[in-house]
Amino acid sequence: MFEAALEPAFWVSVLQIIAIDILLGGDNAIVIALACRRLPEAQRRQGIFWGVVGAIGLRVILIFFALQLLAIPFLKIVGGLLLLWIGVKLLQPEEEEGHGNVEGSTHLIGAIRTIIIADAVMSLDNVIAVAAAAKGDLGLVVFGILVSIPIVVWGSKFVLKLMDRLPIVITFGGALLGWIAGDMFLGDASVKPYLEGQPGWLKYLSSSAGALLVVIVGTWLAKRAVRPRPPVEVVASGAEGGKDHE
Amino acid sequence: MNEPRREGSVKVLVPVDGSANSDRVIDQLLAELAGGAALELVLLNVQIPVDSGHARMFVAVEDVEAYHREEGLQALKSARNKLDAAGVKYRWHVAVGHIADTIIRFAQEQGAGRIVMGTHGRTALAHLLLGSVASDVSRKADVPVTLIK
Repeated sequence: MFEAALEPAFWVSVLQIIAIDILLGGDNAIVIALACRRLPEAQRRQGIFWGVVGAIGLRVILIFFALQLLAIPFLKIVGGLLLLWIGVKLLQPEEEEGHGNVEGSTHLIGAIRTIIIADAVMSLDNVIAVAAAAKGDLGLVVFGILVSIPIVVWGSKFVLKLMDRLPIVITFGGALLGWIAGDMFLGDASVKPYLEGQPGWLKYLSSSAGALLVVIVGTWLAKRAVRPRPPVEVVASGAEGGKDHE
Repeated sequence: MNEPRREGSVKVLVPVDGSANSDRVIDQLLAELAGGAALELVLLNVQIPVDSGHARMFVAVEDVEAYHREEGLQALKSARNKLDAAGVKYRWHVAVGHIADTIIRFAQEQGAGRIVMGTHGRTALAHLLLGSVASDVSRKADVPVTLIK
């Protein structure tokens, strides 16, 4: 891994992993905060800490298995298709339905469990994308995750704000996923033999096609999905003050 | 629900984010009130939604709302303290949505005649990278917008 660190390709992959973690993981930190809200003050810190540790551990294990699976013929093609779908989904406006049923736990163990399970389910897209960007190198995955944790845990508000202010960031994320998917197709064990002696730009052609496909299909579907907008969602209101009240 | 409007008073929507800049907005409005202006103040804090479908799958909707409410009240606190201290009557709301968009829509829903807000929020870095909500609002709103520096 240390010699690899000198190669530009290493840093490209690291940057891709960080971008994926931020774009697809921005809300994980908020789930963590929410899961621990009802814990007594003293246990909250512990809950957040162990929840994060457990979630990261589980994620590394999941990515490890994903890396093994991706070596099997055709599975990279399946993975690439999944990535295209994840990219298109990223560009869609949020659904209003589908509300939660898991209560913020009042027990430490319960909160930690919620964090880990939520992270595992919420991160499946992330796992596939990171495994694809890492191209078989688990060291790269661990490095990428370590770099992105502080951003996701402490920067989640900023990430949300970034997406609120600059929707183009999300389009960029979709394009990135498409780009990685295009690269992944060519890396499949069943495709590779046919690529012997083919020019190197084929890789970029495939990646660009993937990125374009995601952006075009994603934007088109998002335009179609525009619904009449409900009134502003107000969660708290009040009237205050005035000398007549005092 | 809405109280009868005082004769000739203007309903003013005041988006607040808890920054020093929002405090200056309140100072400005207090100065206008002291000068005899008839203003009906409506404070609004907008929280960015936590609604990737995923987050909502694992956290009860009441918890998400409570979270937005707490954060919103925190952001409103300083402005409310100032108004309370001055004995001014006002209404306040915490809403959830895309910030600039929600401000503009809420102004329409409330029938506000004017929007008064700060030019920049809490962090300089965010401002530099993201541009200001204020410029978005002033461009798109259909009522006069006063920006306070």
